[in-house]
Amino acid sequence: MPKHALTALALCLGLAAPGVAFAEWKPNRPVEFVAAAGPGGGTDTFARVVQSALSKNELLTTPIIVSNKAGGSGAETFIYAKSNKGDPYKLYFGTQDAYVLPLANKLSYGLKDLTPIAAMVFDPFILWVNPKTSGIEDVKGFIAKAKEAPGQLKLGGAKAKEADETLMTLIEHATGTDLTYIPYKSGSEAAIQVAGGHITANVNNPSESVEQWKAGVQKPLCVFESERLADTTVIADGQSWHDIPTCKEAGIDVDSFAQPRTIWGAADLPPEALAYYTDLFTKAAAAPEFKSYQERGAQIPRLLTGDAFKDFIKKHEASYAEIYKRNGWLRAEQ
Amino acid sequence: MGNFGQLMDGFAVALTTHHLMIMVMGVLLGLVVGVLPGLGAPNGVSLLLPLTFTMDPISAIILLTSMYWGALFGGSTTSILFNIPGEPSSVATTFDGYPLAKQGQAARALTLAFTSAGIGALTGVLVITLLSSWVANFALRFGAAEYFAVYFMAFASFIGMSGGSPFKTLVSMMLGFAAATVGIDTISGESRLTFELDELIGGISFLIAVIGLFGLGELLLTMEEGLKFEGVKARLDIRVIARAVAEVPRYWATLIRSALIGCWMGITPGGPTAASFMSYALGRRFSRRGRFFGKGEPEGIVAPETADHSAGSCALLPMLALGIPGSATAAVMMGGLMIWGLSPGPMLFSTRPDFVWGLIASMYMGNVIAVVLVLATVPLFAFILRAPFTVVGPLITVVCVIGAYTVANHMFDVWLALGFGIVGYVFKKLDYPLAPFVLAMVLGDKAEDAFRQAMLTSDGSPAIFFSNGLVATMMGLGLLLLSLPVLSLLLKGGRAAPKNDAAATPEGRSA
Amino acid sequence: MDISRSTMDIAAACATAAVGAVVCYGATLNGTAWGSSGPEPGYFPFYVGCLIILGSAGTVVQTLLRRAGGRQEHGAEGEAFLDGERLRTVVAFFLPIVAMAAISAWLGLYIGMGLYIFYALRVAAGFRTLPSLVSALAVVAVNFVIFEKLFMVPLLKGPVLEAFGIY
Repeated sequence: MPKHALTALALCLGLAAPGVAFAEWKPNRPVEFVAAAGPGGGTDTFARVVQSALSKNELLTTPIIVSNKAGGSGAETFIYAKSNKGDPYKLYFGTQDAYVLPLANKLSYGLKDLTPIAAMVFDPFILWVNPKTSGIEDVKGFIAKAKEAPGQLKLGGAKAKEADETLMTLIEHATGTDLTYIPYKSGSEAAIQVAGGHITANVNNPSESVEQWKAGVQKPLCVFESERLADTTVIADGQSWHDIPTCKEAGIDVDSFAQPRTIWGAADLPPEALAYYTDLFTKAAAAPEFKSYQERGAQIPRLLTGDAFKDFIKKHEASYAEIYKRNGWLRAEQ
Repeated sequence: MGNFGQLMDGFAVALTTHHLMIMVMGVLLGLVVGVLPGLGAPNGVSLLLPLTFTMDPISAIILLTSMYWGALFGGSTTSILFNIPGEPSSVATTFDGYPLAKQGQAARALTLAFTSAGIGALTGVLVITLLSSWVANFALRFGAAEYFAVYFMAFASFIGMSGGSPFKTLVSMMLGFAAATVGIDTISGESRLTFELDELIGGISFLIAVIGLFGLGELLLTMEEGLKFEGVKARLDIRVIARAVAEVPRYWATLIRSALIGCWMGITPGGPTAASFMSYALGRRFSRRGRFFGKGEPEGIVAPETADHSAGSCALLPMLALGIPGSATAAVMMGGLMIWGLSPGPMLFSTRPDFVWGLIASMYMGNVIAVVLVLATVPLFAFILRAPFTVVGPLITVVCVIGAYTVANHMFDVWLALGFGIVGYVFKKLDYPLAPFVLAMVLGDKAEDAFRQAMLTSDGSPAIFFSNGLVATMMGLGLLLLSLPVLSLLLKGGRAAPKNDAAATPEGRSA
Repeated sequence: MDISRSTMDIAAACATAAVGAVVCYGATLNGTAWGSSGPEPGYFPFYVGCLIILGSAGTVVQTLLRRAGGRQEHGAEGEAFLDGERLRTVVAFFLPIVAMAAISAWLGLYIGMGLYIFYALRVAAGFRTLPSLVSALAVVAVNFVIFEKLFMVPLLKGPVLEAFGIY
């Protein structure tokens, strides 16, 4: 279909010269932000922070409505996107789930039904334990404990066959241990289970456990990044985010495993709208509300738009597909 | 006494004209939201959230919690007047509230509900005030096995409660479990019972089922019965309200029992919905007037309302202290806290005592304001009932259809609700009890998740359910509740059996 | 055109049994065994489905027994579930609701509810045309203000309203 090709061309042009090649497009009615998570979830908070950054700084003057479609681990959001092809008034907020979910589950949408707009920030992952109840103080202790009794060390995380469980299988693979994964509804729930001493360890984003760390019922062992986190403000035990070793230097050979916070449009999003939103979210990422959200969550400030984002998606999806293949999680047809 | 001093500081924060205005506004908005099914408290709170970005956190949380109180009260209103629970937690209120309203005593039913709800809420806040530091530590002791034990107790209190055919009770409850299963399984990540339909991947919303089974089902029944809507006789009399308020203390035993259940379920992960059901079931069993439950018995309104609201208030404590929201509404508020730059968690009490205690103080004020405002609306609602059913019926239908749509903005949900409407109508005519269905649907998947998490933790050993004093006690209590009907049957011997049998069929018909 | 209660009891039990069977079948797609670390995802649904079938069967047996007993006692078929007139009333009330849902799915909820209210007042309740029309418009307007303006919950608009520039 030549029209399609034209659109694709236009898309590329739009990315090359945002806001120049096209007549100014501006939303003239309410814009809906659909979050692929329930109220209070990580993606929901992300969408609402962006909403507050946009409306407080008057970057977007039409009303913004945040709605949640958390069903099917967020797949509902992207299926909804498929049914709203070309609608520039609906944006979809997620993580890597947008392209990872179809790997394991038979779903009626695919990456072709979405237009990537931006990855605004990356959430690092940290390995946590409760030092008091588990007696584990560092990564060495963790590995020793895991080797002592294969399958006995219980590690919690959010949901099954998603980022958290994937990361656990990477830890197993890298250290040659056998852990038992226990899925909870959310990362904070898993954190509380560790704090209460019901399970040994959990992996999650910094913000989900920072309060438990301050209260002394959780301790970070290592961060799954290639470099240490930047923030040097002391948080608890005289330590800052920067003092947490990377997992690689501490003895778990897992490189960067950050989770992008992504924004999507439906397929066939008009190029002028794409250009407008790319510009808009670039501005939003610099807003003070967004900056303080980044700091609170010890996130990695890395904004990806246009081709850079597309390349990232391609690589990230491939790496997930490889891990899924190793775990035997890929859905039947592949 | 440390808590008391801090509470006084809290009152100093909450009792400004500015904050009182916010409370009144919040409660009124909450009432509107609560009355419309589909626009529940979580919607309301998330819609107000953007407004709060520019407020200071204390005013913001007061606005949101006041809205929450208003929505809780509003939810009971439609339960009583139209048999449509505006909130999941007010389903149990329909069991006696709606029959009482149908007998022409809508004003009395509403007043009883609001007054006991207010008492429940204030008890809940009192518990928070006195036990705040203890509760946070206590809640940490809840692992998957303990979660399961809490749900088990709620189920156990309900088994054997409903009269009528045990087969129909079984079918109704199991259908509830099946409905709760639809969607993606938390533990395995697989989709279950979706048959590869996109529409089912998000699961079947509880609200859709309730709008159909209760709301539309009841409309069909009323239509068939020849538009006999007894509310027409409802008298607008202020004295009715005063008399009903004065009536509430008479049910002190039910009040105390329900408030205790509510606080317990609010602190533990049971939540308001489970609390109201459990309180209703236990009220039916232990109250002297228990056998009148289901036919418009005042105690059948007092029991679930008190428990619902005390649980609703208590549930805010785990949210603040642990960052684990007890309900969907609490989850939205928690999101708010984070956007305002506060982190819910164990340290919040020491880092921002002004915020925490200001909030607790506002809970006292907010609930008192909510009770007063909501009582003032009783004559208005009683007035609505005086309109002929040929007018009110279609209006309720429209409200139901919009409600079903707004749950997730799916037209499919509207069709689903219509389907549930027919099921509700047929089931009611055939004396299938609906309460077990609703309870199973609310708690079914949670109980299953907790059970399977516990089994994973223990490597498949069921001993985990008796592994410590707390969980063993709860499981023991649950088993005791479960065996109560059998025990009482054994004690009474053969005498009770034929009498029960005779009573079962005609009684159920009229309910 | 009367439907007896026992007939309806059996019909409903068959319907629930069918649902039970569907649940059982769906559960087998997920694995129904009790593994080494607890039940598989299909374990509980499978037995839930079985219990639904069992309970439905129980109801059928109970109804048949009662019918046999009832015949001897009263010589009648027991009470009626629905007679022709009541059935007509219910269908006359329910069909317009289905129509409203169908129209709403096509032309949006506002048009659907407006037409439905107009029909219910004009035809079913027998009001005059003008009051019915005004009431229908009022209902639409009130809902529009509450949902679109006050709470910013967009309802389905459909092609007609969008053509008029109402989003």
